[in-house]
Amino acid sequence: MNLSQQLINGLVMGHAYALVAIGWTLLLGVARLVNFGHGQMYMLGAFVTWWAVTKAGVPYALALPIAMCVGALFGVIMQRVMLKATLEQNLVSIMIMTLGFGYVFSGGAALVFGSTGEILDTALSRQEITMGDLWMTWQDAAIIVAAILVFISLKWVLDGTRIGRLVRMVAEDPKLAMLAGVNVRRVYYGVFAFEGAAVAFAAGMVAPRTPILTSMGFDEVIMTFVVVVLGGIGSVTGSYLAGIALGLFTALFGALVSPAYTTAAAFLVLIALLVLRPGGLSTGSAGGVH
Amino acid sequence: MEKRGRHYMALGLTGFAVLCAPTVLGSGVSVYSAAVLIAIFAIMAYGLDVIVSDLGEVSLAHTVFFAAGSYTTALLSTRGGVGSAWVTLVAAVLVAICMAALIGFVTLRLREFVFSLVTYALAVVAMTIAANWSFLGGSDGIRGIPMLDLSLPGLTLTARNDRELWPYAFTLLALTIYLIDRFRHSALGAAAIMVHLNPRLATMSGIDPAKVRLQVFLFSAPVSAAAGWLYAYQRAYVSADLLENYFLILMLTAVVLIGKRQLLGPLAATALVLIQEKFFSLGGNVDKMILGSVLVAILAFFPQGLAGLARPLARMWTRRDARN
Repeated sequence: MNLSQQLINGLVMGHAYALVAIGWTLLLGVARLVNFGHGQMYMLGAFVTWWAVTKAGVPYALALPIAMCVGALFGVIMQRVMLKATLEQNLVSIMIMTLGFGYVFSGGAALVFGSTGEILDTALSRQEITMGDLWMTWQDAAIIVAAILVFISLKWVLDGTRIGRLVRMVAEDPKLAMLAGVNVRRVYYGVFAFEGAAVAFAAGMVAPRTPILTSMGFDEVIMTFVVVVLGGIGSVTGSYLAGIALGLFTALFGALVSPAYTTAAAFLVLIALLVLRPGGLSTGSAGGVH
Repeated sequence: MEKRGRHYMALGLTGFAVLCAPTVLGSGVSVYSAAVLIAIFAIMAYGLDVIVSDLGEVSLAHTVFFAAGSYTTALLSTRGGVGSAWVTLVAAVLVAICMAALIGFVTLRLREFVFSLVTYALAVVAMTIAANWSFLGGSDGIRGIPMLDLSLPGLTLTARNDRELWPYAFTLLALTIYLIDRFRHSALGAAAIMVHLNPRLATMSGIDPAKVRLQVFLFSAPVSAAAGWLYAYQRAYVSADLLENYFLILMLTAVVLIGKRQLLGPLAATALVLIQEKFFSLGGNVDKMILGSVLVAILAFFPQGLAGLARPLARMWTRRDARN
């Protein structure tokens, strides 16, 4: 095993995990909402990008915003249906409904896109960067850059702008925010639209690394759970660090033990974390776990 | 007392009607097959029903218990050479109890979405393990499960096809419904409701919520596992598809469609879903979309379930009756 190459793979995978999880981080940490259909929304994002590039002949740079618009639209539709439960903070209903949505998405996608595997090929994923005997594709480099940019922008919006303040206010106390004249519904719509657009963008960036199937999405959802819990539920910086830690862990586990069981191993990390620290880990100690 | 007697008589009559239903509906092969599957999936859903309706938590790991029952049965009856289905049933139940104890112990302190998140992750991980581990047959699964043989000394009880399987499936279903009813009238059932609705009051009344949660979990897992046990004989093979989302979505729909804590709710809901899929199917993917949409629509627009929808209608009916 080439350790340096595995570390590079781990860094790329880590940024991919963090990017895929960003929508959930905001959803859970900031709005106290969950989305168990996250994996299927990732699948949809990948297939819309694939459809735009190979069937509609749109350039990749334009296919990404198209996928994001579709993702945001689905997010808003989901939130519209779940609005009553959201305002009541009925997490049990929201959980089951998002599972149902995920199931509808996977059925619908199989109907529209077929159930055979496809390859989402981009110009960037065909070109490699080599340094000695180490390598990565330009797509991998783009994932790292995109993840860093998205995290910095989100952090800035949440901490430094009026919109961020409104979102945090709604998360803290929706009823009080409503009394203060904040349009709570609009914030919930916005958060779910962001979740949909963010996961579609992540899918468009990350999906070229592997073949895509309409039945996929489960691995992504587990990795997202681990990132969100490991990062300290809802912490943006924590999620970024947790994504990288998880990426390095799975890369080394895949190389040293078995690539088939990386999801299982990530799950064991999740269980260990929850049993040891049921409240989730804070940002500060996230780096010390691995 | 008299009311209770009438209640049991009504249940008995309903049971008899259900038992005869496939014969009345023309005794076709597909009718018996649908009836057996409805019974099996309803039993599976009853396991989850007590967790969701009584305990108020959403376990997404009940497909794991269901699959554990099937896999235990498959492994014992093929590689283990065990002929008696009694032995495989006991083993399936024991395996489910051990797994529930482990999962319950680990997740004891987790509530709400964190509990669901972990149980969902568990179901996904169980699927990757079942699909990859050669001991469990890997992606091929385990084939060649013999026919159901519940013979006792001096009494031959076997089932070679769905038609012969139906009385056994019906018996297991009736037994399950009886157990759920007993559970709801037991001290544990009352404690579960109290822990669900008012955990602080429960603690003050000397109830340990963690213990109640674990006990309810231990009660519910073997129910779903027993369904898995029968399903292994019905299908004659098992594979990782037992852990697919279909069973999870079906179970959840069965629990919420008619309404929570309706004794016959999961059975009626499973029957509705299976009848649509077996006799009015619009293709696998459209059926998937229908099932998922039904689940979402019920929770979004009729949180009390179809029973909640029927109640005002029934009240209107009785009021008009009284007026006449």
